[in-house]
Amino acid sequence: MTKFFARNRTEPGRRRFARFAILLAAGLAVATATALAAGTQVYDSKTRKWVNYDRTKAYRHWKQHKQVPEAFRPQMVKFRTAEKPGTIIIDGNQHFLYLVQPGQKAIRYGIGVGREGFGWAGIVRIGRTAEWPTWTPPAEMVARDPNARKWAGGQPGGPDNPLGARALYLYEGDQDTIYRIHGTPEPWTIGLDVSSGCIRMNNDDIVDLHSRIEVGAKVIVLMQGAALYKGV
Amino acid sequence: MTLPARQAGGGWARPGGWALVALALAALGACSTSGPTPDQMSRTTVETAPADLQLLCANEVAKTTGVESSKVLPVGSRKLDARNYHVDLNAGGKPTTCVVDADGKIVSVQAA
Repeated sequence: MTKFFARNRTEPGRRRFARFAILLAAGLAVATATALAAGTQVYDSKTRKWVNYDRTKAYRHWKQHKQVPEAFRPQMVKFRTAEKPGTIIIDGNQHFLYLVQPGQKAIRYGIGVGREGFGWAGIVRIGRTAEWPTWTPPAEMVARDPNARKWAGGQPGGPDNPLGARALYLYEGDQDTIYRIHGTPEPWTIGLDVSSGCIRMNNDDIVDLHSRIEVGAKVIVLMQGAALYKGV
Repeated sequence: MTLPARQAGGGWARPGGWALVALALAALGACSTSGPTPDQMSRTTVETAPADLQLLCANEVAKTTGVESSKVLPVGSRKLDARNYHVDLNAGGKPTTCVVDADGKIVSVQAA
């Protein structure tokens, strides 16, 4: 009886504590998600204002200009590094891929990366490359994505193929990581977090990158808050 | 343009100093209206350290800890102030931190 009363007396307090704990956990989850979802902004030269860059705006920009915003177009930039020329460095948070050049410079390209929960980081290498590659969705993608199901046996290369014009296959040692740097039939997605973990580039850019790299090149993938690490 | 020397009390050295400051600010304002250069025309709400600075930290951590460079990876970063960035690294499984300035000079490296 004593126990019963004691429990009865503290129950509302426990409930209040449980509610507080749930709210706290929810608040922390939202805060963490907000911190990790680093929203992209691009500078609008006409209005001279920074504007949020999401999927809708990106598609509208592409329809209007037939190219991505200036920041995501290839350009030579200063890059202070001890990595040797030919090394690829991917900054997933800022949506840039750098190809290291001699003289502390790099060619910078715009990229699209994994959406929340699909980001990864690590140190890998180019295991092989392919032109107009066949796309075979991994089993887990076939299971979760009805659009991928019809291509379970492989989608032949071509302009509608999700891998686009070229694919650079990322290996950890001699093991295929299942991640690739590849082209895309959806060029407006450059600068966004959209993929299932692959790094996508415009077809012109991946063709250019493919022509400059060598199989075996080191690839460093930086991604703050990544769920998965490869090769380290 | 050189600003007049500041007095110990916080005021400008001569009465006309404010006019010079106003001119300087106007000049800066005129410069800023041209906007960022093409390589600076995107940004994220969570400001991470530039990739090259993160990797300079990784290189320094590999040197100071003796961990093979292929096992040192930056896993997070943030801007500390106008000049410095804090970088979190995984050095062969051990958490390590590094502070690097905007010129690429390593300020500090330490085990987390």
